[in-house]
Amino acid sequence: MGTTEGARQILAGLKAAGINLIASVPDINMLQLINLLCEDKEIAHVPVGREEEGIGVCTGAHLAGKQPAMLMQNGGLLNSCNGLTTTALQFGIPILLLVYYAGDMGDNAFHMVGLATEPVLQGLGIKYTVMRDPAKVKQDIAGAVMAAASSKRPVALLLTRAVL
Amino acid sequence: MKRFECLQAIAALVKDELFVTTAGGATAEWNAVRPSDGNIQVKTLGLCSSIGLGLALSLPKRKVFVFDGDGALWMNMGSLATIGLHRPKNLIHICWDNKQYESSGGEPTVSTAGNIDFAGVARNAGIQSSTSVSTVDELKTAVSRALSHDGPHFICALIEAGRAEAPPLRYDELENKYRFIRYIEETEGINILRIPMPASYQLK
Repeated sequence: MGTTEGARQILAGLKAAGINLIASVPDINMLQLINLLCEDKEIAHVPVGREEEGIGVCTGAHLAGKQPAMLMQNGGLLNSCNGLTTTALQFGIPILLLVYYAGDMGDNAFHMVGLATEPVLQGLGIKYTVMRDPAKVKQDIAGAVMAAASSKRPVALLLTRAVL
Repeated sequence: MKRFECLQAIAALVKDELFVTTAGGATAEWNAVRPSDGNIQVKTLGLCSSIGLGLALSLPKRKVFVFDGDGALWMNMGSLATIGLHRPKNLIHICWDNKQYESSGGEPTVSTAGNIDFAGVARNAGIQSSTSVSTVDELKTAVSRALSHDGPHFICALIEAGRAEAPPLRYDELENKYRFIRYIEETEGINILRIPMPASYQLK
């Protein structure tokens, strides 16, 4: 479910980095973060039914001047690979991918998804950081948003239980 | 009715609206009928409706058209539910239903058998202003109404198969993106593209 404090830190980091629209599909480990997002007035929250839709919504939001992020589980990252390649990468769209790392060491669910996650990101040419240190949350988010903006590509943060 | 004559009828009704056009024949035809930096092409089959939703939510005072197809909409039918959930007032979603995957060689889609009513799906997904049209006059009436009333609007345009002669697009994805963003910047009076300052500029 995550902790309220972890979720607060992440939300504060996102705001500090200028993220102002988040499309999402939930995961149990991001419940606290999504609850905070639902209440938040500064960041537009756009729940979608399937993660690839979210890549489209984030693309449209970027074209209109927003700084978007897509919040999802890594199974959803796999769901959105075509949108990531033929829209986000092909058009050069900066999107922060906030991905819960299911199947990571210490996580007992979806181990096959966990196994595929980093090789898929590498195959797509999407830079990523695995977030393991709660003290570095703000720094990791700021770095990823800057990398996305300067490269005009999606950049991923893999959120582990340690930071949620 | 043919898609090309429909597009000509729409071009006569619009000014500076934004257009998101699906991967397929509608893109080349629309750019031939109405060349504008306010047009953006889509390369991912099905994603035009989601990109249009993101644009419409982010620019709530600007009318945003989405040109979809029956094959593309089948691939992202869930987007109708998402649009029906968020209900952007400024979104006008038109599905050019020619009952085939025209760009893939004419294979049948979900629409070919005639069992599906896309406008009914859209209406029951929460897009109350939802209709099917089969003549150019009906289309003109539906688009005029959509331009003057709050949406979201969904129009399923039942068209003949077949492409009109239209030249290939003048711009690739990247140039199309930059021109589209610059067009929004100019017409909305906002700054979108931010060029990072090289570190050397910070030297005193």
